[in-house]
Amino acid sequence: MARKLILPLVLALLVVGFWLKPDLQEIAAGVAIFLFGMTMLEDGFKLFSGGFLERILAKATASVPRALGFGMLTTTIMQSSSLVTIITISFLSAGLITLTAGVAIIFGANIGTTTGAWLVAGFGLKVDIAAYAMPMLAISIVLVFQSSKYMRGAGLVLAGMGFLFLGIHYMKEGFDAFQTQFDLNRFALPGLLGLVVYTLIGAGMTVVMQSSHATMVIIITALAAGQIGYENALALAIGSNIGTTITAILGAIGANYQGRRLALAHLVFNVFTAAVALAFIVPLVSIVNFLGTALGIAPDDYALKLAVFHTIFNVLGVSLMLPFLWRLITFLKRRIPEPAKDISTPIYLSDATDDFPEVAEEALRKELGHLMHNAEEVIAQGLNLNMPRLLQTSDIAATVEESTKAFPVDFDIAYDQRVKPLHAAIVEFASRMGLGDKDTPEDIMHRIHDLRAGAGRIVRAVKAVKHLRRNTTRYTETNHGTTTVLYNAIRADIARMLVEMDKIRNEDSESRSALWLDEERVQAKRSYKDAIHVTEALIRDGSLTAAEATSILNDSQYGYEALKDMIEACKTLHAETKTGLEEVERILALEEDEADEMAMDRRQRDA
Amino acid sequence: MGLGKSIDKLDDYYDRLAQKKVGKITPDHVDKVLAKLRAKEVKLLIEIDGAAKVAKKERLTGKLAVVREQIQRGEWLHAQITENNETA
Repeated sequence: MARKLILPLVLALLVVGFWLKPDLQEIAAGVAIFLFGMTMLEDGFKLFSGGFLERILAKATASVPRALGFGMLTTTIMQSSSLVTIITISFLSAGLITLTAGVAIIFGANIGTTTGAWLVAGFGLKVDIAAYAMPMLAISIVLVFQSSKYMRGAGLVLAGMGFLFLGIHYMKEGFDAFQTQFDLNRFALPGLLGLVVYTLIGAGMTVVMQSSHATMVIIITALAAGQIGYENALALAIGSNIGTTITAILGAIGANYQGRRLALAHLVFNVFTAAVALAFIVPLVSIVNFLGTALGIAPDDYALKLAVFHTIFNVLGVSLMLPFLWRLITFLKRRIPEPAKDISTPIYLSDATDDFPEVAEEALRKELGHLMHNAEEVIAQGLNLNMPRLLQTSDIAATVEESTKAFPVDFDIAYDQRVKPLHAAIVEFASRMGLGDKDTPEDIMHRIHDLRAGAGRIVRAVKAVKHLRRNTTRYTETNHGTTTVLYNAIRADIARMLVEMDKIRNEDSESRSALWLDEERVQAKRSYKDAIHVTEALIRDGSLTAAEATSILNDSQYGYEALKDMIEACKTLHAETKTGLEEVERILALEEDEADEMAMDRRQRDA
Repeated sequence: MGLGKSIDKLDDYYDRLAQKKVGKITPDHVDKVLAKLRAKEVKLLIEIDGAAKVAKKERLTGKLAVVREQIQRGEWLHAQITENNETA
């Protein structure tokens, strides 16, 4: 209800304000242009995702100091802690970085965002930045119309900066004009009441504009124009730090539990920092004055002093929180626990990765691994095999022969609960990534399509085993002589593949190769040919009835189809994605007819 | 078995490389993949050595043939890529 009222309330306030004070229009237009610039800046940087941003972020999370430095640096460059926060949430949701690294990036981003105040106070108010804005906008539009994604990205970044400059210019002009008719200083509130009220106003402004940067610019320009007092400006700056947490909270709505933990960390950090700043406002102001004098800042240059204050209280917050980082992580994990492993729910797929194709691809790959893991259990149980036993045995054939007891599982329910929901989520996610507005690079889109097809293959393998289950149970629960031997051979082939899949999954990603699975392809084909050959021989010598032989031939086909689909899905899951290596694998891989040929060669040699 | 379809796939790669649809393969890339295949070859040889059942030995020997086929293709690819990079 309250959310529904915000929009009409803001619009009404603007209209009334414009009617009462026409100069307010210039300030509001400045804010609008500034926010538009921020949006363009973020869109521009997003075009560098799909490789560039992700690679840097992945490398920067090896240690807490590096993650902290990365947060500072990227926020300084992008001038948007919101974008850095959203990217970090997407990485965390996709399981690509740790929660500790994510929190450290957020801490760093809080320091990085203070550079904005320095830029405005030290440069924006002292130089005619509108003069820079015009050529920047003119050049940017040429770049925006280029076909290259990165050129368009550079164009949007340049245009974004141009609009930021222009927005600051209009805000400055607006406040200067406003001062001649209306003095906001009349609303100045001294003392504790002023601190509390202006902190709340600062938080409110940031929530409405979704940008602490924009709030800081308004505060600094208003301060420079003498429209607000220094003390109240300090409280507004503190409030902007609280208000900015709303961005992370909104970003975490579509994220998983890790993303929500990060948003909570952001809230805890900013509220704590604001509380410290409010509690120690007097000594902080003294430190600002001392540093201001040391840095050669004029005593009446309150805009620059505000920038010093903004930096000091954020650095102070990080310094106070860092020693308690591990405690904060423990608190976050306790407060937002990892959901109970509901194996039917996607773990890695979330809306938070939507705007970052490389992260989305990695999340999809991990989810395919999750689906495969579930399917392996379902397949093993469907064939009355105990997966942990298979993984421990040194003689799979013997273990399979010993597994004569039918598992009391409803295969359809197991499929519906553990396979189908994950498959549906993968299909939905992959389809979403394929939408035109996502601008997903072609090579990533191609791999996403392969991963989706891999999920389909896993489903087909499970369904093939479903067909096998009835006869397998019938002929292996009690001894039916030759028929039981043949059904156990089918089960053993699938069991060996399940063990291979587990082995390759546990192999170090830098050591394993999807090419190893070509061996399994040849082996599967050979086993299938052997099964047909043996069955036909047994029909000829009368060892099998026609009914038994038909069942075995059909079920050998199902077994082979299941194996083929499991192998191909596994190949997709573990395929190289790095430039060059992906192509080498493709060139060296055996094609299906080559695998057939190799299987036949061995059969003929054995015969 | 020979090089099978690898020759066609290499030609296809060069076509796509000319169209800038694919990244360039370097000899290092081939070396990295070859190292993984050779590691698998060693693992299989150890497993064959330790296999007690004839059927298991046969199965592993079959797998060894496949990995050796891929190693052979890898060595050929390495030579092709090196030669092409030198002439380019």
